Amino acid sequence: MGSELIAAGLPTRTPSESWNVTAPEKVKQIHKNYFDAGSNAVLTNTFGGTRIKLAALEYGDKVEEYNAKAVGIVRSVCPDGCFVGGDIGPTGKFLPPVGKATTDDFSENFLEQAKILAENGVDFFFIETMMDIKEAEAAVLAARKVANIPIFASITYQKTKRGYFTVMGNSIEQCVTILEKAGADVIGANCTIGSDDMIELIVQLRNATKLPISAKPNAGMPELRNGETVYPTIPEDFARDIVQIVNAKANVVGGCCGTDPQYIKQITKVLKGI
Amino acid sequence: MVIFDECKKAIVRGDIEKAEELANQSLADKLNLNTVVDAFSDAIRHVGNLFDEGEYFLPELMRSAEAMKAAMAILTPHLSSSEVETRSLGTVVIGTIEGDIHDIGKTLVAAMLTAEGFEVHDLGADVPVTTFIEKALEVNAQLICISALLTTTMVGQKKLINQLVKQNIRDRFKVLLGGAPVSKNWVAEIGADGTAENAISAVKLAKELMEH
Repeated sequence: MGSELIAAGLPTRTPSESWNVTAPEKVKQIHKNYFDAGSNAVLTNTFGGTRIKLAALEYGDKVEEYNAKAVGIVRSVCPDGCFVGGDIGPTGKFLPPVGKATTDDFSENFLEQAKILAENGVDFFFIETMMDIKEAEAAVLAARKVANIPIFASITYQKTKRGYFTVMGNSIEQCVTILEKAGADVIGANCTIGSDDMIELIVQLRNATKLPISAKPNAGMPELRNGETVYPTIPEDFARDIVQIVNAKANVVGGCCGTDPQYIKQITKVLKGI
Repeated sequence: MVIFDECKKAIVRGDIEKAEELANQSLADKLNLNTVVDAFSDAIRHVGNLFDEGEYFLPELMRSAEAMKAAMAILTPHLSSSEVETRSLGTVVIGTIEGDIHDIGKTLVAAMLTAEGFEVHDLGADVPVTTFIEKALEVNAQLICISALLTTTMVGQKKLINQLVKQNIRDRFKVLLGGAPVSKNWVAEIGADGTAENAISAVKLAKELMEH
């Protein structure tokens, strides 16, 4: 979504959520492209829609408006039998010793956003790109308080010499334990790593939980070539990795940074036979 | 001496109070402060290696860097000015470019540079090019470290270099680029002085550049 908005001309220093109000037709077209490509579910354009995140760009007073509008835009192009997921991303702030945030700050922010998304009728929550399990936990607990709809909790791991960990040092097992206890219905991984490294991660995640698993890798690590941002993994290779991710028993798959409807189309094509 | 091992331990464990206590104790015991500082410095390098190996993560690294900072704040006033000068590796201005609020990698590099002995001026995130340059001139920095996590804000790094050239002060600073999408090609393309894979290599690179 983010990459697509930028491609559609989103200026810097502008929250992508602002387009839910100022350019809803453009947002709607992107959502529609995903459904047309074969997506069963599309996420709202609310990744950075918490108060803390919007306030960092001086749009803190727009939380209600941006999040409320976002849901209807996806719903308006959502075919029968498909779903609208309420996207919830990290606040961008950190607990001590890295930053000065508190878990109360996290809770308040996620409660506010989740409530608006639920009131406007999302079918599920998709909490993603969480780098600190404590922030993810706060988000899941808040979402659970707000509505009795499925909660996806997706963590972003990096590959270290000792295996997969969040930047805060949370292991896969640690994350699973906390997320299950907090009430997540689906446990996932997204962002930071490419589809190739995601395969082994999902194998390990499957060993750690019996819950359904979601996987949304990047199309590799971004490179700048002649002033253009390029994600090196092409849709065909990405989809081939996705097949292995599904074989490792992931239940929900999709794409993160650098992917576009072409990737979804390719995934839909190769998964038909499975 | 036992106290040197204690110093190392305090830093590796990120125990701020213990690090301060040991710094004060070495003053009271009139120990050779250079040796004390060396012990602390060894420890922080060890912490860097632990991070590199995937044993330590961001919170541990930040805590150790804070402990190091706390100890040095106590010791530095007691080092002679010539000692401080030989110890200071250089002055750095660091920040995340305008339009980009990603600050975690930059904060990490700033903490490690400080721990290693650089004088670091951290401008935070979303910093305009002019602020980088004004600050660098004001504090007479040798190094400017500029972070961009978004491919859309990386052009800001180029803008900084161009501005330095335009003001005829490009030679006064070494410019290091940070951020996941930054590549060696990008460094060459815009004429910067280097980039590193992570905070630990960034410190190594900064030290190498200061020797030239």
